[in-house]
Amino acid sequence: MISPQTYTARLEDKLQHNQKFTQYSFELIEPHRLEFQAGQYVSIKVSDQGEHRSYSICSTPDNNHQFDLLIDSTPGGLGVQLFNNLEFGHEIDILAPMGLFVVPEDLAVDQLVFVATGSGIAPFKSMIEDQLRNKKDQRQLTLHWGMCRPEDLLWLEEWQELDEAFPNFHFHPVLSQAPEAWTLCRGRVTDCLSIHERPINAAYFLCGGQDMIQDVTNLLTQKGVSQELIITEKFY
Amino acid sequence: MTTQTKQIGKYRVEVIRDKCISAASCAAIAPQVFKMDEEDLAVVISQDGNDDETKLLAAQSCPTMAVIVTDTETGQQVWPPQGQ
Repeated sequence: MISPQTYTARLEDKLQHNQKFTQYSFELIEPHRLEFQAGQYVSIKVSDQGEHRSYSICSTPDNNHQFDLLIDSTPGGLGVQLFNNLEFGHEIDILAPMGLFVVPEDLAVDQLVFVATGSGIAPFKSMIEDQLRNKKDQRQLTLHWGMCRPEDLLWLEEWQELDEAFPNFHFHPVLSQAPEAWTLCRGRVTDCLSIHERPINAAYFLCGGQDMIQDVTNLLTQKGVSQELIITEKFY
Repeated sequence: MTTQTKQIGKYRVEVIRDKCISAASCAAIAPQVFKMDEEDLAVVISQDGNDDETKLLAAQSCPTMAVIVTDTETGQQVWPPQGQ
């Protein structure tokens, strides 16, 4: 892993996906290149007192002169306040790259299963695209993503494009407050995982709230998945 | 003639194990002070491996404020700010 260092970056673009989620794109200024692995995060100083908040990078490592972050505006804390007040051209200081939540190069499994809830999707956007497009991973990659309502979902066109371009990618959104017309999985991600056949020789990547991670870990270990094949990133 | 020397090791760090979520930011920033143990939780391996500034930054980067920094000269808690 590359040691983290301080970078200055400038806000170049922002895209409000829906009421909950906004994607922010930053151009690196100094240093102007950031080498990171898909799944890693940045730590941003959000107050003069020195408080930091962590955000997973949702863009892929091949674009190393910028990075994108997905911000959930609902918590309304210091981090959200900082992003709400950011204007185009504003600069921020970050510490990066951070974290160990990556797909190990030597992971000897036949399938990769990604399980997210809410903004836990952010690192998977980077990891899945990197595995499919950049690393040409031929293994089966499955994404189970739990959200409340259809209007909370984002990047649907991008997931659809990946689904069509890569036959080894499978996308399973699951809604806890699904409308009647919803034909896909309903309930929680644990329900979705229970419905679908358990893949043989798979590694599981879990990202989201601590309760989800605990519930899915319990489910998987009950089904015989070894703890070493369950790799987690807790959001808080 | 007077010489000025940087005082290293004024800050003492401690990990609140129950708060650690294995983000590993402390170990990434101050690898001579923190490491992840066999349970993937942060532990302190040395108080002197990195300088005070680095130790404080490592503590501030922790998403859950699981690292406490105390100034051993004054006895004051430097991080997290009192009341948080």
